[in-house]
Amino acid sequence: MSFLSLIWLILAPIVVALIIMFPKFPNHQVKIRRFAKWFASLHFVYALLFLVFFDTSMYGMSFEKELTFFGMSWLKSLGISAKFGVDGIALLFVILTTFVVLITLFMSKIHIRSKHKLYYSLVFLLESAILGLFCAKDMFVFFVFWELSLIPIYFLVSQWGNSEARRAAMRYTFAAFVANMFLFFGMLILYYYNFAISNVLTANIETLNMDSKFYPLWFQIFVFVNFLIGFAMRVPFVLFHNWYPDIQSKSSAPVNILLSGFVLNTGVYGLIRFNIQVFPEIFKLFAPVLMIWGLVNIVYAGAISIVQPGVKKMVSYAQISTTGFVMLGLSCLNSVGFNGAVFASIASSLVFCSLFVVISCIEFRTKTTYITSLGGIGQVMPKCMYLALIICFAAIGVPFLVMFTPKLLILTGAMLSNLDQQLMVKIAAFIGLCAIAVSAGYIMYFFYKVFCSVLLEQWKKLKDLSPQETAVLSALCLTIVYLGINPMSIINVYQSVSSIILDILQV
Amino acid sequence: MYEIINMISTAYFPEFIIIVFVLINIFASLFFDTHFYKLSKWITLLGIVLALASTFYLQIDPEAYAFDGTFLSNIYTVFFKILILICGFFLVLLSRNMIREKRDRAFEYFTVFLSGLLFAMCTVSATDFVGLFVCLEALSLSCYMLLSFTKSPDAKQLTFGYLIQGAVVSSLFLLGLSLIYGLCAQVNFEQISLYFANASVMQTQPQILLTFSLVLLVCTFLFRLGLVPFSSWLPDTFKGASYPICAYISSVPVLACFGILAKLLMTFYNYTFTMKIVFAFIAVVTIILGSLSAIRQENLKRLMAYSMSVQSGIMLLGLCVFSVYSLSSVLFYLFCYVFANIGAWSAIILLYNSARLESLSDLKGLWYHRPYYVMAFTIVLIALAGLAPTSGFVSKLYIFSAVARSGFVFLPFLMIALIGCVVMIYAYWRIIRSMFRRIDTGIEIDNHVISSKYILYACSFATIFICLFADKIIRLCQLVAYYM
Repeated sequence: MSFLSLIWLILAPIVVALIIMFPKFPNHQVKIRRFAKWFASLHFVYALLFLVFFDTSMYGMSFEKELTFFGMSWLKSLGISAKFGVDGIALLFVILTTFVVLITLFMSKIHIRSKHKLYYSLVFLLESAILGLFCAKDMFVFFVFWELSLIPIYFLVSQWGNSEARRAAMRYTFAAFVANMFLFFGMLILYYYNFAISNVLTANIETLNMDSKFYPLWFQIFVFVNFLIGFAMRVPFVLFHNWYPDIQSKSSAPVNILLSGFVLNTGVYGLIRFNIQVFPEIFKLFAPVLMIWGLVNIVYAGAISIVQPGVKKMVSYAQISTTGFVMLGLSCLNSVGFNGAVFASIASSLVFCSLFVVISCIEFRTKTTYITSLGGIGQVMPKCMYLALIICFAAIGVPFLVMFTPKLLILTGAMLSNLDQQLMVKIAAFIGLCAIAVSAGYIMYFFYKVFCSVLLEQWKKLKDLSPQETAVLSALCLTIVYLGINPMSIINVYQSVSSIILDILQV
Repeated sequence: MYEIINMISTAYFPEFIIIVFVLINIFASLFFDTHFYKLSKWITLLGIVLALASTFYLQIDPEAYAFDGTFLSNIYTVFFKILILICGFFLVLLSRNMIREKRDRAFEYFTVFLSGLLFAMCTVSATDFVGLFVCLEALSLSCYMLLSFTKSPDAKQLTFGYLIQGAVVSSLFLLGLSLIYGLCAQVNFEQISLYFANASVMQTQPQILLTFSLVLLVCTFLFRLGLVPFSSWLPDTFKGASYPICAYISSVPVLACFGILAKLLMTFYNYTFTMKIVFAFIAVVTIILGSLSAIRQENLKRLMAYSMSVQSGIMLLGLCVFSVYSLSSVLFYLFCYVFANIGAWSAIILLYNSARLESLSDLKGLWYHRPYYVMAFTIVLIALAGLAPTSGFVSKLYIFSAVARSGFVFLPFLMIALIGCVVMIYAYWRIIRSMFRRIDTGIEIDNHVISSKYILYACSFATIFICLFADKIIRLCQLVAYYM
């Protein structure tokens, strides 16, 4: 399909960001917003076309394209070229990102009151960075987009957040740069020591590897850990997770939606691309560690989630807890677990994005996110309550909703896993099973506290959802229900990729 | 006569033109009064442009000598000369406002300025230690004289340390030079390296003396580049000096010193394995100390002083793992550094001239007054910090990949350098952060400072442009490094 170009998909948001920033563009909020929404809708449809024409039986990358500058590839003399291509996993993440940006722009109207030009261009810049990251075939191009995404996040959080947002954004950006430094260090080592074996100076992710015959085990583990720190920071996994609830609780509502929609995906994508594909043997060695780390994630973040005073922090910790399932699924080293892990990251982005949409509706009306000052809102906002109920059930993993299939797959995968420590694996799977009950606990606690307890005096005159909000939430709920009923529609897209990765892992 | 013309046209053409224009400036100062002070600027600009054009007429394939082989001209030196001249071109435009305030000394300023450029160019071309010493000394003299242009009360006190330390370091250089001469009775780099290549000599001569004299020689470069044992002069001197002169000190001597230091290291590389580690250590300590000091600075000039120190540290780290690959990465880094540095200084000069903004707290709320300045300044700062879509990222990638491929020994140094770079990112980020603050101070901005505005836009555009078309420039740098 010649009209489907990944370059256009990635660069179009940057172009639109520049158009919005251009001095001659009208500085009128309605015009800017409409322009942005129209573009985001078209962009989403364009991304969906990739899925329509995607050949699910194909192994490897599709839609390959190279970005050249007047016929020159980017850094040819260093073996780096701006090549792009997507496989099933990347394509799903790309579509999810465009969808989340669209939802964010629809929810931005009521929350963003100033600096419209800057806001919309930053959102598009961020979208571009995330899309480029998913499509990059080259390690350093991946890193360019990875770092490029930090700058918009800093401004989005600090400029439109509450009074503490600036410090939180600074803390996050600085911590992320430190994590990126580890990532960059690992990449530089990998880049050169791959060259030393193969004599081809390249940074193409598919061809990179560090041959275990040439380098000592500790050195490979060292490089592996560098990558792991970089990605664990972004996912976020426990130990590196503090930034996520921190900036989520301080930034404004649309930014919450945007962040919850992609952080997990980018981190998991990095883990799959680098830690699994480039270092399969080290990953096998680390699998038990990662499995325990995943369990700690589930239990610890879930327990913390219940005691949080703010709704935003509560939901953020709930999302961190869900990332533990992803880790558990990846470390099973079998196809069931792997499929479940990828599906879980998509599903959790979708579900928590929807939860933040609900929170944004509530925050707009009540101007507070403290759980003690909310309560019983369901009586005055019935539409909101019923839609939120579907989303909360989805987050728990109720059958026929989106989170059910991945959790089932992950726990089955853990039971079937062929790791050496059989007893530990079985115990881990059992704890994971029990952890679903924990997740039910904190999600239902959140739902009960916000919607069902005694209605406070000052909230008696709250209005229910506006038609636009209802439409956005219904669209999200429909997606959640559809993917819950028909999970194979997602899994089919990346099944060929997962079989490749499992082949690599079996070696 | 014919021989002289031939020598000039093959090897010495740009320097010759600069000399002519220095003389024109001196004579013009005799015939024109203060009223025509702008004339000096145009004379200087014309001289620089002509010198730039004349570099294309040099016969540099493979190389040409002048003055009995004491002056070398090849692709490597011409690369540095072009960079120095581009720097000079921008700096002349940046000194506009300073000259307007001191009209009576305009001709004097530009005469000293041009001779500084001249000696920077000659430094790169030097082939023996005597010529090198003379050029370096003259280059420092021009710096001292430029520093004396500042009239603020504490300026003399602040810049005096530079003069004293510079004098001490020069005498150390002379001592090292005399020791080397005592060892082998040669001053030419090639001859000295040939002398020591003879294995029987190495057994009879004490090696420790050679290392000691090299250390003494290297001190002067460490001083000019603001590297660690000699970096204490930088922040004070920058605080005392005028803005365009800070920009001058942070770019022209850096280019000249790296040009000649690379050549020296290549000449003496085989005899000083331990020097490699020492250099890496110096570089890493500079990066860490510079970046840790930079994050506490309030004054923009002091911050930029530490920034220069850190950038030279990164370049030294690339230089000390000596290979053609790493040399080309250093050349590319210098190329990117020049544009980013000039861009940052032009932004700072612009802010100072138009609204007297000097410290980070003055910059608060600037975004709401001049969004396009702020955007261009942000891009340039991101380039200096080495972040993604700018030339800084590519140059950092290149130089650190050169360090990574030089063996296990350098990996810890690389790690520490990367940590220092992250700290430095924070230092640059503080400037960006304060420009985006919500506090609304009534900054009054004068719109008439045009030349520095265009330089700022040009440099911010150039940093992105270099990033996209980096391949061509990297190939050029590899060619240049190969020819050295």
